[in-house]
Amino acid sequence: MANPTFQMIHGMLYGNGIRFGQLSGLGRIIAAMSGRYPDHVPFQGPQMHDHAMTIARVPARKFYWEADVLVDVHLAVARWYGFDSNTITFDVYNLEVEALGAKMIYSDNAMPTVDVSDPLIKSPADLEKYGPLDPSRGRIPYGIEVAKQFTEKAPGPFAGGLFCSPWSLLCQAMGYPPAVRAMKRDKGYMQALFDWAENQAIWPYMAALREQGIKNAMGADAWAAFPNLTPDLVDEWIIPSSIRMRQRGKKELGMTVSAGAVAGDYCEEDPAKFDKQIMFDCWDVVAKTFPLKLAASAMGRTQDWDMNWLYEFATRSGKKIPIMGALNGRFVRDSSPEQIIDIIREWIDIMGRDGRFLMMIGNIPADSPPVNIHTAVEATQILGRYPIADDLSSIEVQPPGFEPFDEWLEGQPEEETILKAREWKSLDRKVFV
Amino acid sequence: MSEKIAEILNAIVEGEEEDAAKLVQDALNEGLPPLEILNQGVVAGISKTGELWKENKYFLPDVIFAADAFKAAMVPLEPKLKEGGDGRPASKYVIGVVEGDMHDLGKSLVIALLQSAGFEVIDLGIDVHKDTFIDAVKDHKPAILGLGAYMSTTMLEMKTIIDELEKKGLREDLKIMVGGVPTSQEFCEEVGADAWGKDAMVTMERALELVGG
Repeated sequence: MANPTFQMIHGMLYGNGIRFGQLSGLGRIIAAMSGRYPDHVPFQGPQMHDHAMTIARVPARKFYWEADVLVDVHLAVARWYGFDSNTITFDVYNLEVEALGAKMIYSDNAMPTVDVSDPLIKSPADLEKYGPLDPSRGRIPYGIEVAKQFTEKAPGPFAGGLFCSPWSLLCQAMGYPPAVRAMKRDKGYMQALFDWAENQAIWPYMAALREQGIKNAMGADAWAAFPNLTPDLVDEWIIPSSIRMRQRGKKELGMTVSAGAVAGDYCEEDPAKFDKQIMFDCWDVVAKTFPLKLAASAMGRTQDWDMNWLYEFATRSGKKIPIMGALNGRFVRDSSPEQIIDIIREWIDIMGRDGRFLMMIGNIPADSPPVNIHTAVEATQILGRYPIADDLSSIEVQPPGFEPFDEWLEGQPEEETILKAREWKSLDRKVFV
Repeated sequence: MSEKIAEILNAIVEGEEEDAAKLVQDALNEGLPPLEILNQGVVAGISKTGELWKENKYFLPDVIFAADAFKAAMVPLEPKLKEGGDGRPASKYVIGVVEGDMHDLGKSLVIALLQSAGFEVIDLGIDVHKDTFIDAVKDHKPAILGLGAYMSTTMLEMKTIIDELEKKGLREDLKIMVGGVPTSQEFCEEVGADAWGKDAMVTMERALELVGG
């Protein structure tokens, strides 16, 4: 059943009690999101670009410039791990400002980075200098091609374009401290900055994506996570911008433009400072930028959260909304497989018994041991099998054996692209901007 | 505490940079001792900001404004402090963000607090090559070298730098601190650093411990 529409219908039926056949990964996620119980708790494909690049041993100069390398590496690594969906990302915060002329730092081994020591926007007068964005410049064509290939090779509701949301784009263009000063102290200038980001920087990219047949685009906004911005500031600036862009996308392009993704994500690093009310406020703003109702954690230090709070948030109206439980990337990297199994056991016990629960990893760091990710998927599938066992502590889970990536890759559809990318030498280096 | 110094403290906490600089200048003009202005006004203000941050009453934007006010207050104060120094050399702290990493917000806060604690800080900036760190250790002979990284891909460079310092025989009299979002106590131990700066306040506290302050 390779057709994503059929897979989604299957998931909806399955999740609502009409159970037949073997669920696909997409069907499993839809069953958990729109119904209640899939066959087991799904494991959503996480953001993992630099980790996937490291596992596939392809150079950054190919991975962050050639869409087929990026897409094929993601698809192969996601399948190797057994994720239920694909999340294909790159350095999404850079493309617009890079194409507008921001100074960048490129590396053979790591993702491109904006040189914040020489920002693009230093004063209000600079807003006249840059824009509108020319979608043929920089790596915008790469971003468009990634969206096309993602949609072609892994169609479904998660495929589409990626962009940098207005607030994070402004942080990239001028640096976070000047941006936050403007937000708090010069509202007129901040509004002009948002207008510039939405209309001059992002909109031409959206129009170019739509011209190539892309119908939805998600805008990352990590600079709007807590405590970079408080829930009040997200409500004042990020949500209205997100609504403006969504409405304009629908009206002018017939496209779903979702800006502000992960705005409000609770990323407090110090467990001593965890605060239930602030968390609830943050989850409320996160829910506002998601197309579906969701109680979501993403990049936060979730291993130290009291997950009863997230469960309470998800069930406070009397009907449980789906919960996305994301393991912290650094926790996954730095923990033993046994510690990972223990936390998944605890989370499923608290949040998964009555369904509508998905597992994920916030963002897999480049140097995470693969055994830890294989273990997370295995533990989710065993401990999260419905109906959930009364006594989860009685179920033993061992870190799974797995074929090394290179051996597994033999004969896979992505093998040729990945092996060819590895042949790149630094002499092939290109200059784009 | 005099009324003027209380106002300086308040201006730092409120992140009013122009007020902070003006109040410090007024206090100096009135003849208040520079060290008293520093300790009871400026440093007390940034310390109070740190407490409010720890208590969840202040968030990152508030800390940025307080750091701005702190920097503005130090402009008129620094020359006066140098004039009236006690002759004892301050401990040197060389700091930089490793190569490939351009994030400097955390470093700015750390520098502000280290300076408030009396360190002479040599800031190598962001995207600093390994050899620049090595040269700075040779040239400045700091008590502490601070390495920062914001990305999991770039943090690995810290181990390379520490290994290189060991190879060149520069590690023995040098304390090394690591910090930045992806770092951890485990990572600190793994790369052979002496202390982990979990946040700016902790970095200042650990640095003082390392030099016996």
